[in-house]
Amino acid sequence: MLALIYFIILAVIALGAAACVLLSRHPLYGALSLVTSMIALAGIYGLIGSPFLGVVQIMVYAGAIMMLVTFVIMVLNGARDSKTPMFDRVSFFILPAVILLAGMVGFALVRSPLAFDTTALRGSVALTSKTLFDVAQTGPGYFILFEILGLLLLSAMVAAVLMAKKRLGSIETENTEDKH
Amino acid sequence: MTNIPLWLIPLFPLLGTIILGAIAVATSPNKKGAPEGVVGAIAVLLPAMSFMCVAALATGMPDAGFRTTLCNWIDIPLLKVDIGFLFDGLSRIMLLFVTGIGTLITLYSIGYMHGDRGFTRFFAYINLFLFSMIVLVLSDNLMLTFLGWEGVGLCSYLLIGFWNKDLNNCKAANKAFIVNRVGDIGFLLGMLCVVTIGGSGALNYDLLNQFIQMVIAGGHVELVLPMLSLAAILFFVGCTGKSAQIPLLTWLPDAMAGPTPVSALIHAATMVTSGVYLVARMSNLFVLCPDVLNIILVVGALTAFWAAFAGLFQNDIKKVLAYSTISQLGYMFMAAGVSAFDASIFHVFTHAFFKASLFLGAGAVIHALAGEQDMRRMGGMIKKTPVTACVMIFAFLAIVGFPGFAGFWSKDLILERIFTNCNWVFTGTYLADGAVPMNKIFYITGLFTAVITAVYMGRLIIMTFFGEYRGSKESEEHIHEAPAVMLIPMVVLTFGSIFAGYLWAESMGITFFADSLAPVLGVAQAFDPAVAFSPDMVLEEFIPRVTTHVNPMVFAALGTLAALFGMFVAWKGWGKAHIQAAAKGESSAPDGYAAKWTFMWDYVHLFFVKVVKITAWLCEVVVDTVLQAFQWMLGAVATIIGDGATVFQVRKVRLQLVFSILGVALLVLVVLLTGGMV
Amino acid sequence: MELQPIFIQLLALAIFAIGLLVAISRRNLFFVLMGIELALNAVNLSFVGFAKTLPDAMSVAGQVVPLFTIAIAAAEACVGFAMVILIFRNRESIDADTYSDMRG
Repeated sequence: MLALIYFIILAVIALGAAACVLLSRHPLYGALSLVTSMIALAGIYGLIGSPFLGVVQIMVYAGAIMMLVTFVIMVLNGARDSKTPMFDRVSFFILPAVILLAGMVGFALVRSPLAFDTTALRGSVALTSKTLFDVAQTGPGYFILFEILGLLLLSAMVAAVLMAKKRLGSIETENTEDKH
Repeated sequence: MTNIPLWLIPLFPLLGTIILGAIAVATSPNKKGAPEGVVGAIAVLLPAMSFMCVAALATGMPDAGFRTTLCNWIDIPLLKVDIGFLFDGLSRIMLLFVTGIGTLITLYSIGYMHGDRGFTRFFAYINLFLFSMIVLVLSDNLMLTFLGWEGVGLCSYLLIGFWNKDLNNCKAANKAFIVNRVGDIGFLLGMLCVVTIGGSGALNYDLLNQFIQMVIAGGHVELVLPMLSLAAILFFVGCTGKSAQIPLLTWLPDAMAGPTPVSALIHAATMVTSGVYLVARMSNLFVLCPDVLNIILVVGALTAFWAAFAGLFQNDIKKVLAYSTISQLGYMFMAAGVSAFDASIFHVFTHAFFKASLFLGAGAVIHALAGEQDMRRMGGMIKKTPVTACVMIFAFLAIVGFPGFAGFWSKDLILERIFTNCNWVFTGTYLADGAVPMNKIFYITGLFTAVITAVYMGRLIIMTFFGEYRGSKESEEHIHEAPAVMLIPMVVLTFGSIFAGYLWAESMGITFFADSLAPVLGVAQAFDPAVAFSPDMVLEEFIPRVTTHVNPMVFAALGTLAALFGMFVAWKGWGKAHIQAAAKGESSAPDGYAAKWTFMWDYVHLFFVKVVKITAWLCEVVVDTVLQAFQWMLGAVATIIGDGATVFQVRKVRLQLVFSILGVALLVLVVLLTGGMV
Repeated sequence: MELQPIFIQLLALAIFAIGLLVAISRRNLFFVLMGIELALNAVNLSFVGFAKTLPDAMSVAGQVVPLFTIAIAAAEACVGFAMVILIFRNRESIDADTYSDMRG
């Protein structure tokens, strides 16, 4: 009963923040709303039985990713196009489409029987680390995936650095580099 | 010594090829090429070592022979072939004269090719040829023989077109290779037929013989007989290509464009006899197909006759010898056609000696005259080049079958066997009431061909060596006898052409040659359908063996008479008559009716070439156009569909995404409706 | 009434739909990327929601896979924003409609 109350509170916060992302004009307001939504979702993770995941969500998602988003918005002066209308003809197209899709998937979901299993494990740190790093009898399991993910992050970082690098000799370089 | 490994025999010439090839490539930028002494020494030494190995193995060889299997070559589910060698009576004889005459001709070539820029390359090719020929003869299965078969064809191409700056030489080389290739299709298909009946093990000669014995003993020959006959005829097609019989013989006269030692080695003594060797090796298969043997007999007889006649019209000394080779090969196949395989191998043996002598002698004459090959510009050479003249006259006496010389024993043996062994009785002819005895007809053909042989060979000798010299004055001063390195092989071969016949002199009681071949060929030659098959099996093709007994002296006498008559006709026709000297630039080719006769088979080839060209035109214009239209149709359909699909593309990215989402919604709907998701 | 697993799935669906809406109907590039992040979060929520409904061995996946998804979302955000910077350099505008050059 208590879980349901907590869940409803957190769900309302998450949905409300998502709606705010949809309707906000300034990107920074949108980013803040997104952070709120993520924190609410982290709470829900903790409620369901994956506290580790909830903390990771706050650390990585709300912490690192959204910081990056905020940084880029500030650098590129994201409020520049605030005068443009927020919703146009395309938006009127998308609304019924998304509603239709969500409706159908929801319909299918509701008809399938779902129940909480009492033997489900709780996602503590110990369990997660054991699953990731214990090379089981039946094979390495998630270990290789973990390593590959590290590689993926590295390559994404390199790609981002390469792509966003200032070209030598461009006007931007001249304007912003210190003159010696 | 019986413990010399068999694989040493082909190894020496192969080493020679590699070493000489490396030297040739390394010295190719030089102007003068590698030192001739070193190259010549290597080139002669290695075949000589092969010969010594063969000689050492030949003495004291047991009747069954030696066999080795070197390694596995092909090992796939369909086919399993090993590289193995078989040294029995038949391959011993062939190897002895292949390596022996090969060494002598290589020695001769050192003198003949002296000063030629391609000296090293020539000997590399000669060693490669000897390697291929040894592999052909020594192998114990059909696939390895085919490797040697192709190898000698390749070397023939390389050596005929040796002086490759002249386009005619290249064309001649192409012709030789391509006509041989047509024959090789027969060989390949024959191998296929053999594998179809007997499995891949039947490619091995021993296993093939066992299989055939099993077929005969099993009593159901008629089941496999069609396939066996097909295999036999296909192998014979391969032999007509390699041994220049009708219809694939047009390459041999053109092959005279190569250097004379090449003609002596390849187109007289060794390569062209590989067809006869194959027939002898597969003798067990051939005797089981009497129809094919009859075909071989007819083809051999026609070829011998036609080529002898064509030799009469030639003016080029080497072309006369080329047609003579074709004619003598016809004799060998005639012998094979009457199941006298040992007689045909004996004629191969003696023919190698006297034909090589003739070619080497002709080479010496051409060398003396600085490249002149037209007999109408020769004459009276006996005074200037006596040793060469002696060599050629002795070889001439051998080839016409003068008593005592090699050809007398072998050719008369063949004619005798044709008369006594041929049991073909041609029934149902509307000329006579009863049956026509074919043995007499073939004998008469053979005898008449022998007369013509004597005529054209006599013509050659008289036009070249006797009478007045018909060339220019300044060339007459330069005529000189060949150097010793050329004369020694010629003299050795002359001894061979005189005395080689005595290995099988039946009237004198010596049957050494036949006895050495008996373990290999005896079973096939003694094959008598009446004995081999059970009495309740009656097959129409198999006529019981009947041997007519005639005193051998009759044949000897008739042969000698034919030779003497031919020599008399030659003397009458060209001895005293004044032979017109040819003008300066006149070509040696025959003209008029002589040309029609000589180039008869070239016209047949042209017909087939035309047929192929028409087929190619049909394929290009008709089939290709149809295919292109079909391709165009497919492309048009794809383009139309693509153009239709672009209707759904919009300019705005976001709108495009909306359509994607709509598409996903549609998919979900479809899955829901068809009950995919519960 | 107790907390049912279907509630979690429905919440995830709703957040996903809102995320899609944001990504497509807003013209500002930043909002597009933020909408994608929202949708990814909704998927994570769905995974974790299913984790509780499965028996013990399989339920671990419901906690490990969202971990990977978060990491991948981080990488994607990194590269995406680098591309936004590049695009901004090109056209000096962050309106998605200025890049509608697709031809039919």
